Amino acid sequence: MSVTIDRPMVTSSGQALLRALALPVALLVVWQLWALTLPVDTRAPSPASTAEAFVRMSATGDLPLALLQSIGRVLSGFAIGLVLGTVLGTAMGTSPAFRRNIEPIVESFRPLAPMAILPIAILWFGTGTPAALSLVGYAAFFPMLLSTAQGVSRVDRKLVQAARTMGVSRLRIAAKVIFPAALPSMVLGARLSMGVAWTAIIAAELAVGAKSGGGASGGIGEMMFVFYSYSIDMNGIVVCMIVVGVVALLIDRLFRLAEHHLIPWRH
Amino acid sequence: MSAILAEPKLRLEGVTKEFPAPRTGVRTMAVSDFSLEISAGDFICIVGPSGCGKSTVMNMIAGLDKPSSGRIAIDGVPVTGPGADRGVMFQDYALFPWLTVRENIGFGLRNGTPGRGLSSKDLEDRIDRHVELVRLNGSENKYPHQVSGGMRQRIALARLLANGPDVLLMDEPLGALDAQTRLVLQEELLRIWGETEIREKRKTAVFITHDIAEAVFLADSVVVMSSHPGRIRRVLPIDLPRPRNEQIRADPRFAELHEEIWSLIRDEAYRATV
Ligand SMILES: Nc1ncnc2c1ncn2[C@@H]1O[C@H](COP(=O)(O)OP(=O)(O)O)[C@@H](O)[C@H]1O
Ligand SMILES: [Mg+2]
Repeated sequence: MSVTIDRPMVTSSGQALLRALALPVALLVVWQLWALTLPVDTRAPSPASTAEAFVRMSATGDLPLALLQSIGRVLSGFAIGLVLGTVLGTAMGTSPAFRRNIEPIVESFRPLAPMAILPIAILWFGTGTPAALSLVGYAAFFPMLLSTAQGVSRVDRKLVQAARTMGVSRLRIAAKVIFPAALPSMVLGARLSMGVAWTAIIAAELAVGAKSGGGASGGIGEMMFVFYSYSIDMNGIVVCMIVVGVVALLIDRLFRLAEHHLIPWRH
Repeated sequence: MSAILAEPKLRLEGVTKEFPAPRTGVRTMAVSDFSLEISAGDFICIVGPSGCGKSTVMNMIAGLDKPSSGRIAIDGVPVTGPGADRGVMFQDYALFPWLTVRENIGFGLRNGTPGRGLSSKDLEDRIDRHVELVRLNGSENKYPHQVSGGMRQRIALARLLANGPDVLLMDEPLGALDAQTRLVLQEELLRIWGETEIREKRKTAVFITHDIAEAVFLADSVVVMSSHPGRIRRVLPIDLPRPRNEQIRADPRFAELHEEIWSLIRDEAYRATV
């Protein structure tokens, strides 16, 4: 598998911005026109009613609070997955013996979706933040592990040899040769990890919300669940969906920006 | 008298190297019964067809590869691994893609033993001098993938020389350069090696090349290798006076030596082309 890292779009000109906005705006217009054809007492959301819901949810502070809660959980769970994935991935990439031993375990757990371990997470950790964290950590762990292992194992042997002929110590070779050589792979792994972590937290909160029957500030996933099963508020659900999507997009953009700074020699 | 008693700088005794094929495990003999003594201050060139084991010999001297049998010693001490006393310039340069030209040249000075005890000013000066030596001023802040093949080769050469090793191990170090740059750097290399100094002040150099004229111009002796298995065919002393400059290429003796080496590898070279 080859690792390709695409460049972030640098849209400096207003024209490029207009072009990027054209399709979303067109969709909004079509959506609104369609909504206007429906009966007045419909539950179907329109752009106008959704915007109204967004303003209301923001003003009460519910939405920002839920969002912060979810983002906080994602970042903590992501950090757990990142650290474990980096450490074990480095060991896997360095030691073929370790790799042979751990690979069957990894490969048998990897296809297991984070949602599939939710029952165990709930039994062990209850329905609160620890359960959510373990789920996000689990999801974030695998991409980081595999990308790190691949990056470390594919470091050009010649570069390590060159450093050895310059009297560079093992520890310094790890820091100054192996780490930078594996970095592009690791950054890609982190980006993938963050993507699945964000997906996992929404799913986890939705599910945990179902069990605990709602409550204050269970994150944005729980908020969606409450809208769905208690108030049947389509507008609220759509607002949550859009917010989740926008956050995912922003996170990805942030990663590409970080890539630009962490791996300048690739650009 | 003392020359007889003194340990050679570098001694290879009956060195062989076999590589097992990855799947079949069938062993191929890359280098066979390679024995050579190199005195301190000698400039040795190794010539021979592709695949005759030149790089393999160099890797073993560098301590990056162990001989299958035989012994290699530096100053009488067996080689057990790599060390900054033996600087290596690899055939494919082995530059760090994430470091700029300047950072590559300074890598050993900053991270390895060669830079120990240097003040940061001395260190920067030394990097400056080597950037200039290979004429890379103006490209210092580029990354290796942004410069030409010839420039990459010069970066690798500068990195080797900046580390100031006792023994220079160079694997086709000027092969990617255009003819003019190549001639200039050949003379420059002789100067750095210590051609104008007394023998005791010279470094010891092992230089692999495809180019017979280059070998004759640079070397105190030329080791001609043949392949399958890689063996020493002949060691030819180059009795041209030093310091050498462009005029030496017009010397009749230069042509004689060139012809002699060519006749040694001609048959094999022809065989390799058909
Ligand atoms: N790591 C290796 N594994 C297997 N065979 C090798 C390895 N390195 C070199 N060889 C083989 O040994 C022989 C000599 O190679 P090399 O020293 O690179 O030749 P040269 O530098 O003279 O072109 C070649 O036949 C090559 O295929
Ligand atoms: Mg070679």
